[in-house]
Amino acid sequence: MTALHPSAPIASSDGDLLRQTAEGSRSAFSQLVERHRGAVWALVRRLTPNDALAEEALQEAFIAAFRGAAGWSGSGSVRSWLLTLARHATYRHVRRRAGEPSSFEPLDELGAAAGWGQPVPVDELLARLRDQELVRRAMSRLDPDDCDVLVLRDLLGHTGPESAAALGISLNAMKSRLHRSRLRLIAALREEGFDA
Amino acid sequence: MPEQVVIAGLGCGDVLGHLSEYVDGTVSADLRSSIEEHLRGCDWCARFGGEFSAVVTELRSTLKAPSEPAPDISARLANRLDELFDE
Repeated sequence: MTALHPSAPIASSDGDLLRQTAEGSRSAFSQLVERHRGAVWALVRRLTPNDALAEEALQEAFIAAFRGAAGWSGSGSVRSWLLTLARHATYRHVRRRAGEPSSFEPLDELGAAAGWGQPVPVDELLARLRDQELVRRAMSRLDPDDCDVLVLRDLLGHTGPESAAALGISLNAMKSRLHRSRLRLIAALREEGFDA
Repeated sequence: MPEQVVIAGLGCGDVLGHLSEYVDGTVSADLRSSIEEHLRGCDWCARFGGEFSAVVTELRSTLKAPSEPAPDISARLANRLDELFDE
């Protein structure tokens, strides 16, 4: 198969740009930032309560990427690596809250908090989900472990095995954590709605 | 909530425990069949399962909505990176 536009410039891959960054290319790093700035922002803004903290996390993530460019393993996508740096940067700013419920609450209690067994109109819950600010507040109430798995599976769309590998846990453990995290988020959304 | 029932070998609590995998399409064919039989016979689980599925779908859509930092934030990031390269 031939190229449709043979004379068009070939865009450098993310990996190439990162290698050029490691060799000192400001231009290469600028291209990387331009490509992934939106994705990093989407992530950090959903995990932080305000723009100021999100901006701090964004800057720290890209600075860490610049400083760590030479150490990039070359496996996996550069975007995933950047988003991992962004998650870590975010959690340095958003302190893990003391007294969070453990991951081992009985499932029926989590379900009940999410509306299992209660006649809450789904339309009301869906309307809350369309409110980005409300979702952001609900996410900020979750434990970082819960945020991590939601970000990997439902925001970034990683597969189950990819998410499990990123979290360093088994596939079954990831599935269990994902389910509990979704139930906790739904419960937090219900509470946010009532608090509003 | 009403008393839990067992249908197709699954109690309501079992169905609750498998909802994410069911919505994600990662359950085995046999388990999917059992869950669907339970849902057909249990209004309670059918209702919560439908709500859960709708919420997960909407959540993905909301989380994936395009987002860009404000221009001044991008400008400040560029300034920080300029400083890094000058070090």
